[in-house]
Parts: sequence; structure tokens; C-alpha cells
Amino acid sequence: MNKILVFLLLFLGLCSFEAAEPPEQYITRQGQISFFSYASAENIDAQNNQVLSILDVSTNQIAVSMLMNGFRFKKSLMHMHFNESYMESDLYPKATFEGRISDLDIPLASEQTRLIKGVLTIRDIKKEVDIKTVITHVDTDTYVLEGNFEVSIKDFDIKVPPVLEPNIAKTIAIKFRFEYQPYEK
Amino acid sequence: MIKNRNLINHYPYKMRMLLFVCIIGLGNITSGTAQELLNVLDQEYPDTPQYELATFKGSRISIGHSVENRRKGVLDIVHMQRYWNIPNATTQNFIADKLNARVALEYGITDRLTFGAGGSTLDGIFDSFLKYQLVRQRRDHKGFPLSITLFQNGSYKSKRITKGTEDWSDRLAFTTQLLMARKFSPNLSLQIAPTLIHRNTQLLEQDPQTQFAIGFGGRYKLDGHVAIVSEYYYVANPLESRTTYGAFALGVNWEVKNLLLQFQLTNARNMVEDAFITQTINNFNFEDGNFVFGANATVSIQLFNKKQKDTK
Repeated sequence: MNKILVFLLLFLGLCSFEAAEPPEQYITRQGQISFFSYASAENIDAQNNQVLSILDVSTNQIAVSMLMNGFRFKKSLMHMHFNESYMESDLYPKATFEGRISDLDIPLASEQTRLIKGVLTIRDIKKEVDIKTVITHVDTDTYVLEGNFEVSIKDFDIKVPPVLEPNIAKTIAIKFRFEYQPYEK
Repeated sequence: MIKNRNLINHYPYKMRMLLFVCIIGLGNITSGTAQELLNVLDQEYPDTPQYELATFKGSRISIGHSVENRRKGVLDIVHMQRYWNIPNATTQNFIADKLNARVALEYGITDRLTFGAGGSTLDGIFDSFLKYQLVRQRRDHKGFPLSITLFQNGSYKSKRITKGTEDWSDRLAFTTQLLMARKFSPNLSLQIAPTLIHRNTQLLEQDPQTQFAIGFGGRYKLDGHVAIVSEYYYVANPLESRTTYGAFALGVNWEVKNLLLQFQLTNARNMVEDAFITQTINNFNFEDGNFVFGANATVSIQLFNKKQKDTK
């Protein structure tokens, strides 16, 4: 009985040693996220080029974090309204995502399309999302994740006054592109 | 617990070490969860200064200037109106007896420097100003706790001041303001503005040519688009030739898209700094002649559609 227990612990220990091997973590500090709002009165788009993301290829976990005021607009007034009137960036400065890539085979032989299941947090409101992504292994050190998805502004309690409803789409299209390099602590 | 220790003691030292290592190793399985990765990312944010956005939304709190500047390439078209009645008059005017209107253009030369010029119908005052943001309040509680903007205007009064002959330059007046504001919370911003006003001609000898005033202003945001604002100007050495009162305003600011509407209840009929700060001849109450209803409409147009740059 005791022997079995020891073997069990040994086995678990070995597993953990695998996980504890040199960290298989990749990071990007210049990730790109852009959003598009197509509404009848006007189209609004903005891009954030300073998105942080980390990818752990041993556990297939992924995390994304960005500052809401990092979005750049065509009009500076839109930047102010976005942060002040809609996202309330003073109160909720960051948006984050934490998730896991399903069925990711490392090393990647070729381009793979995979599903990321995870939780998107905007304005401290958490929502489970499934995001389709294309993963490419550009060279030995670089992974690229690309994709797009949609979010509903209702899900994150973003209030739009009735007079502005024709100006802001109910669902916002989001595009992302992350280029990961090995993470050195 | 004791049972476990017995179990461990049962094995030789090497075995015990192995067990120990295995148990430590178990802890590693939990590392690399998405939550921990997020914590890693929190450490990775570059240490770029984060400045407060929009201490106030408009370039004016209500009647007086705020610390806010327009960003580079933005043109504001400003239309301001003040309405009041003549006391004890049996007039049949529509809505109000008197109207003062000011039309102005304000342009963001850089993100920190704004130039503006306008004209008002009452006394035919033409004014122009430069506004430069000296210090920006930082959101991350480092650096200076206030936003400071230097305001300088010059105004020309086309209506005669005295009965004598006047030079063009005699009709000039200058206002210098050091606008200092702090955004205390996302909703509450307060401003204090030491003000120096110089007039080239006094109405009477005993009037001071240079006057000091101090402005107090505040805004409270009700939601993303609506705010309540108030302002008061205290003059340290008022005019001697006639009684003047501090300009006061209580108003609502409402913002939709690129249109900012500011409504105010006030006692100031003029809209140019030197005139309304030191020459408001009526106190604030709801009597005819004293009560002034005002509305400012500001339309912002981005002349250069250049994308904003990332902060470095």
C-alpha cells in the first residue's frame, strides 16, 4: 500500500518536473487589437498597439492585458469620449483575457486554426468567450496568433444614450494580432 | 497528520528526500495558469506616465476658461449667448429684452497650445487668447497633483469708454490667468484661478487700472454625458466708480458626440474675461435685470485626421 503511494507521488512528481522545465513562455509587448463599430450614422475604429500578452505553450494557457486608454482614434475627441463617457477608464483602466487554447500541438508543423476558450474581462465584468484563432510558428522563436471576434456592448454594461444609438453599433468587431517572442524574466 | 509523518519516517533518508522533492514539484503543476500569467503581465506594463483625461470636458467650465485645451488639429466653433430682461420695463420682446452673443473660433495648434478669437455684440468686444498647458496631472499619483494652464487674452472694446478722444490702444484690456485644477475623482474636478486684469483706460481716475481676482470652479459628473458645474469669481480690488459683484454661474453641461452644450444661470452678461470678472454690475438673483440665462454651444471638428500617436 505504502509502495503504491510512493509510486503515485513519484509519478505525479515526474509530471510536475515536466511542467517545471525551462519555462515555455512567450510574450508580446506590442500586440495589436483594433475594434470597429459599424453603425448607420458613423463608423468608428481604433487600434491599440501596446497590448501585452503571454502564451505558455506547455499548458496552452494564454493571457492578454491592455490599457483602455491605449486605443488610438482618428479623432482625438473620440478618444476622450471612449475613455470618459463609455469605458470609464478612470475606474476600469484595463481589459484582460485569460484562456486556454484547445488541442494545441507543439511543435507546430504548419498553420493551425484553434479555439481559445476563456474569460474576457472589460469594466470588471467577466464574460466567457470562445475565440477562433490562427496560430503560426513563423520561425523557431516566434509564434503569431491572429483572429477576430465580436462582443456585444450590452454584455459589458456600456451605456449609450438614446440620442447616440445610431452612432454606436450594438456589436463591436474586434481584431487581434500578437507576435510572441520567448519570455525572459 | 501524525500518521503521515510515521509514513515518511518509515522510509530511508533518500526516499524521504525524493518524497519531499515530489511534493514540492506538485506545487509547480499549478503554475502557468492564466491567472498567474495575468499577474506576470501586470509586471510587464512599461512605466509610461498616465495623465488624467478630461479634468473638464470643454475649454470652459461654464462662463470662464478651464484647464482643458483642445488637441492638435481640432477646431472648435463656439457660439455663446446670454439673455436677460430690463427691470420694470413694459417691453413686448420675444423671450428676453436683451441678448449678448459671442461667436468664436478656437484651434488646437499643438496638444498643449490653443489659440482662439471671437467677438461679442454687447459693447462690441473683440477678443483673442492663447492658452498653454504647463503641467498635466498624473493619474498614477506620481508627479504633480494638479493640471496647470496659463491663459492670456487681449480684448478690444469698440464701444467708446470715455467721452474724450481715445487711442486705439486705450480700448485694450488684458487678462492673465493661472488655471489650476485637480480631478479628485472620475466625477469631481475643482479649479482655482488667480487672475490679473489690466485695462489701458479707466472710466474714472479712482478706478484701479490693474485688478486682481480669483476664480473658483467645479464640476460634478452625473453620468458619462451630463455634468453640473458652478463658478464664482472674487475680485480683490473692485472698481470704485460703481458697485460690482462677483460673477457667479450654476450650470449644466451636456455633451453629445462633437457637440457640447452648456446652459447656465448667471449674473454675468459679458463673456470676455476682463469684462465679466470685474464689470458685472448686478448680483445673482432671479430679479429682472439681474438674472441672466446663458447657453454655449461648441462644435468640435477634427481638421487633420491624423491618427493619434502612441505615448512613448
